[in-house]
Amino acid sequence: MILTRTPRQLGVDVLGTLGIMFLMATGVTAQAAGNEVEKASSQPVAGPGDYTVINGKVDQGTYDGYIAYTRSCMACHGPDGLGSSFAPSLIQAAERRSFGDFSHTVASGLEIQPGRVMPSFADDEYVLNNIENIYSYMKARGAGDLGRGRPKVIEEEVAANKNNGEQD
Amino acid sequence: MLRYPGLVMTAAGLMAASLAHANQNQLDLQQNPDFWATQLGNYQGNRYSQLDQINRDNVQDLRAQWQFSTGVLRGHEGGPLYVGDGRLYIHTPFPNKVFALDLEDEGRIVWSYEPDQDSRVIPVYCCDTVNRGLAYADGKLFLNQGDNTVIALDAESGELLWEAENGDHTEGETMTMSPLVVHDKVIVGNSGGEFGVRGHLTAYNVETGEMEWRGYSQGSDDEVLLDPETTTMLGEPIGEADLGISTWPEGEWERGGGAPWGWVTYDPELDLIYYGTGNPGTWNPEQRTIDGEPADNKWAITVFARDPNTGETKWVYQKVPFDEWDYDGVNENQLIDVEFEGEQRKGLAIIDRTGFGFLMDRESGELLVAEKFAPETNWADSYDLETGRPNVSEEFSTFRQGVDVNTTNICPTAMGAKNMQPSAYSPETGLLYAGINRICMNYEPFETEYVAGQPYVGATLTMMPAPTQEGDMEGRMGSFIAWDPVAGETVWEIDERFAVWSGALATAGDLAFYGTLEGYMKAVDIESGEELWRFKTPSGIIGNINTFQHEGKQYIGVLSGVGGWAGIGLAAGLEDPEEGLGAVSAFSALKDYTELGGILTVFALPDA
Repeated sequence: MILTRTPRQLGVDVLGTLGIMFLMATGVTAQAAGNEVEKASSQPVAGPGDYTVINGKVDQGTYDGYIAYTRSCMACHGPDGLGSSFAPSLIQAAERRSFGDFSHTVASGLEIQPGRVMPSFADDEYVLNNIENIYSYMKARGAGDLGRGRPKVIEEEVAANKNNGEQD
Repeated sequence: MLRYPGLVMTAAGLMAASLAHANQNQLDLQQNPDFWATQLGNYQGNRYSQLDQINRDNVQDLRAQWQFSTGVLRGHEGGPLYVGDGRLYIHTPFPNKVFALDLEDEGRIVWSYEPDQDSRVIPVYCCDTVNRGLAYADGKLFLNQGDNTVIALDAESGELLWEAENGDHTEGETMTMSPLVVHDKVIVGNSGGEFGVRGHLTAYNVETGEMEWRGYSQGSDDEVLLDPETTTMLGEPIGEADLGISTWPEGEWERGGGAPWGWVTYDPELDLIYYGTGNPGTWNPEQRTIDGEPADNKWAITVFARDPNTGETKWVYQKVPFDEWDYDGVNENQLIDVEFEGEQRKGLAIIDRTGFGFLMDRESGELLVAEKFAPETNWADSYDLETGRPNVSEEFSTFRQGVDVNTTNICPTAMGAKNMQPSAYSPETGLLYAGINRICMNYEPFETEYVAGQPYVGATLTMMPAPTQEGDMEGRMGSFIAWDPVAGETVWEIDERFAVWSGALATAGDLAFYGTLEGYMKAVDIESGEELWRFKTPSGIIGNINTFQHEGKQYIGVLSGVGGWAGIGLAAGLEDPEEGLGAVSAFSALKDYTELGGILTVFALPDA
């Protein structure tokens, strides 16, 4: 059974530390999801490429992007988006390409030259459902906000705070 | 070579006459130390040469004579063949070009051949579009194309003689292994363990390309070509029928992997071929359980001894029942004669993906030795020689730790402590020489669904250099070792920055050779491991180092051209698990040392 990952729960734009602190201060929990975040931060509805990083931890969507990348893209594009001897870095691809362009390539594939081919993922529901997440993960990597390896999810911290009774 | 029609006719006549014993030609060529007629040097897989013109005393004078670009950028595995006709025969990764190069004219192209293949096969390869080389017999070259076509070419002209369809890339099948010619059959195996294919080894008639037999890696005994009454496992009859079905959950054997994508070796006296099968289908072990408990998933990760005439299985040994780490069992089975506990034994030695060095009796299939050659190996403490089973460590069992749980610091990595890079064996020293990987991993299984032609992996993994001990090179990811297969001990070890992914060579010149991922070809003293010579080729070496003699001059040839799983996994360097997120990697990135590009380099002594 294909695991379709839940769509992004923390729908925030690239906020940087200040924005994050604002969010935390208003006590928005991950469970509260998009609506309250949107209200609280006055940000437009989150788009592809958005991500949140706090102390190396990421929102659920970006985490899902890491997982989807590692499951479906790493075999050619190398660990952590860094590229390999077989296929280029997707971090650079996400930096240089619009989301429309990026998702088009994922869905349609590419034939750069004979013998250099990227397959189409149009039939892969899991990848299609995660293109935005993968793009966000790559944007976070490209901006230097997220390092290598498997990130932790902010949710866990919020959950921990919850246990400490720190949420409002 | 001249191309008079008369010569061609004579050659054709010879071929017809030798039909019944087509391998006699291959055997004769192997026995001439001047030739390198099969990828592993001989049927036994020893990669040993009796040539000693290049030796311990003069190797520092070894020079590159000429180089040849293949025009292909992907990972170049395998190596050149020399059968005494003044030419080198080489191949490339996809599109699988074949070249006949004139050895007397610094690699002038005598002929070239390029198959017309559907490029949609490219994404179906698991780990780069590699090919491990040509086979030769009786004036014919045999090649396994990536699109599952087996072809025979006339070595004289490059003309296509026949082609046979061995599989379907739309189902995830590819071919990367090098065929082996035994008798009048060319023996080939498929690839595609990451796409849920069903592994099979198949024999085609060398003259006609007709299929002679096919033995599957799972399914009914009839399809595996075994008889539970007569086929043995560790010296005893298997007993139970159809284990290739009953050791899987319902229907899972149909996508049960076990692709034999590695090397095949052959014992002409026992008339048996030996090869290993790959990982069992999905990397998520939970999906291969029966009633929630581990199941053996036979016959994945199994050494098969088969009769090359019929394909019937003489014995089997499953190295890893119920794989939880992707430890494909395809490593070459080195056929060596050894003294074991005071007795002469027909041995079979494996420097295995699992980190264990095995010694078996190749006649009876008994397990004699199983010791770690990579001391960091922790997925199993040891092997029970009676049952042949590993004593798996629960801490590193990805099944016990569970689905969606990241089991950390498992050694070796899924790449194995040794991957496809074939080892060498010197009958003079009695030691095996092998490039190995010193890499560990975190592994997280997840539930996956089978879709024909799509990856069927079901685990994510991250890799890190193996822990070092005092005296080891800091952060090293590979070594070149001399291994005593009887004592089960490493005799010497040279650490390398990256995994050593090239095939080794041992010679009567008291030398061992290997290549590095940065692109160095190195010669070391076979006794001590002391480095005596090195040369930097233009790209990383994942090919095999072969040697041959033409008109009294010894040559060494190697394909460089980085790629394969090594290139994919190591290009960017590995993360340091001890470092915080965002830290600059403490470990070397391969892309800082080398770039793509297939080159053949031919070496010789200047005054020879």
